[in-house]
Amino acid sequence: MKKILLFAIATLAFATTAYAHHGWSNYDSSDTLSVSGTIVEVAFSYPHTTIRLQAADKTWLAVLAPPARMSARGMPSDDLKVGDTATVEGYAHRSDPLEMRAERITVAGKTVELR
Amino acid sequence: MTPESPIERLQEIGIAAAMRDSLWLYPFVEILHILGFVVLVGSVVMFDLRLLGVSSRIPVRMLAGHLLPWSLGSLIVVVPAGLLLFLTDAAAIISNPAFTLKILLLFVVVGNALAFHLGPFRTAVTWDVHKPAPRAARFHATLSILLWISIIACGRSIAYV
Repeated sequence: MKKILLFAIATLAFATTAYAHHGWSNYDSSDTLSVSGTIVEVAFSYPHTTIRLQAADKTWLAVLAPPARMSARGMPSDDLKVGDTATVEGYAHRSDPLEMRAERITVAGKTVELR
Repeated sequence: MTPESPIERLQEIGIAAAMRDSLWLYPFVEILHILGFVVLVGSVVMFDLRLLGVSSRIPVRMLAGHLLPWSLGSLIVVVPAGLLLFLTDAAAIISNPAFTLKILLLFVVVGNALAFHLGPFRTAVTWDVHKPAPRAARFHATLSILLWISIIACGRSIAYV
């Protein structure tokens, strides 16, 4: 009985980890995108800063870094304004065609690494 | 989800907004949550190991008196900190499978602790020192360790699923 239970819970713990790994790979890192456009929305907030970027074909939701890292790397909230032009490089979400995870962002000639 | 769902209204309350907007509040609360559950899970697992026969020279009831107040006391930090982290992104976290599993396992682990204290622990005076704990006590201890490992794994996984 105890062995069965032990096995069940260990499996559960590992399944969770495996699932997490699956979740991490929800962004397709085999294909790096570069998207330029106009920032139409900024959420400089935890757990992650996000912007909506109006590109030629569609409006992307780009997931950036947490606010403290954004500031530490040299892009505080004042440098990220609606109406600014931005370029983000990163990976598209596998199941949400409008979402991407940005690896770096360039605004007004300044590039900030996000990971 | 409609814009005015209860869960979305919940994450608009002042403290949740402050958690999102302040540069240092979110990491600060995260650190509190971690410090709290280090004490919680650390003290619980040390007691569980004693039930499984580790350091059987230490009387079980004496060790319970030393460790379990720390387990309970840590909840004063762990629970409010966890609640704040949840509120920050409530609408997303509520449908996160790792979060759902974590909450489910928390109910199970509390039930397991209650079952131990209302059950085998009542006879602890007869196996207090230098004696193996009853099968039921060892069962609850094993379950407790595995559940807490799973709960920590689920909590950390919320960020990745």
